Amino acid sequence: MAEQHTRKSKAQLDEEFSELYRAHLRDVYSYSYYRVGNHHDAEDLTEQTFLQAYRHFERAQRESDGRPLRPWLIRIAHNLAANLYRDRSRRPASPIEDGTPLADPHTTEELVEEREELSRILSGVQELPDDRREALIMRFALGMDNREIARALGRSDGATKVLIHRAIKQLEGRVNE
Amino acid sequence: MSEAVPNFEGLLRQALAPVDPPEDLAQRLESTLTSITELAAGELEAWELSAMRDPRNWVRPAAAVVVGGSAGVALVILRARRRIR
Repeated sequence: MAEQHTRKSKAQLDEEFSELYRAHLRDVYSYSYYRVGNHHDAEDLTEQTFLQAYRHFERAQRESDGRPLRPWLIRIAHNLAANLYRDRSRRPASPIEDGTPLADPHTTEELVEEREELSRILSGVQELPDDRREALIMRFALGMDNREIARALGRSDGATKVLIHRAIKQLEGRVNE
Repeated sequence: MSEAVPNFEGLLRQALAPVDPPEDLAQRLESTLTSITELAAGELEAWELSAMRDPRNWVRPAAAVVVGGSAGVALVILRARRRIR
């Protein structure tokens, strides 16, 4: 009986991990890309995030009490990215690679203006303090709400709300300078 | 100053649009995860019928999962090193 329980649990865990992977691959990749600034490192970070998540999935499920595991996944990516920069002793060396899609541009002039504006915003995001940058990536690239971001960053909901508000204000001021 | 940029949050949402992972990343990652799963499951399969009732062997299946995980990580590290070269 003990063996059957072990086998069934593992199969079920693997299935549930597959669902988690399918549901959040794009989230983890988007976070990684905006965090590290290039596709090469983003791919490595995404791979390592899911491998680490697989190893600790059972415990995370047990401790999550049924809450969504996306903040836990993003926290793994966040920690791995921090290690990456600690090892390399640097933050992203270059601006984010240009690949941002534009929404329905009307004329060439508008397209150029919009691209320049978005480019300034992206550069501004990269120059923000780490915690503010992370919060904005989670909110706007991943669509996470305050509670999810708070869990990913290990902060209270209130502190997270303030953090995001200040990040937006600081960025807006910088872009408008 | 903030009036100069209407709907700043909308622009921010556009600037930070979600990024789709490359197709080959998804395939590679799925393949690695499948290998890990199968490796650990194979270890369990080989041991469970004959050895599971002996408490001295209970540590082995648990180790299989850990070994599987380590192997996966090792694969990624190897791949990353190859790219650097």
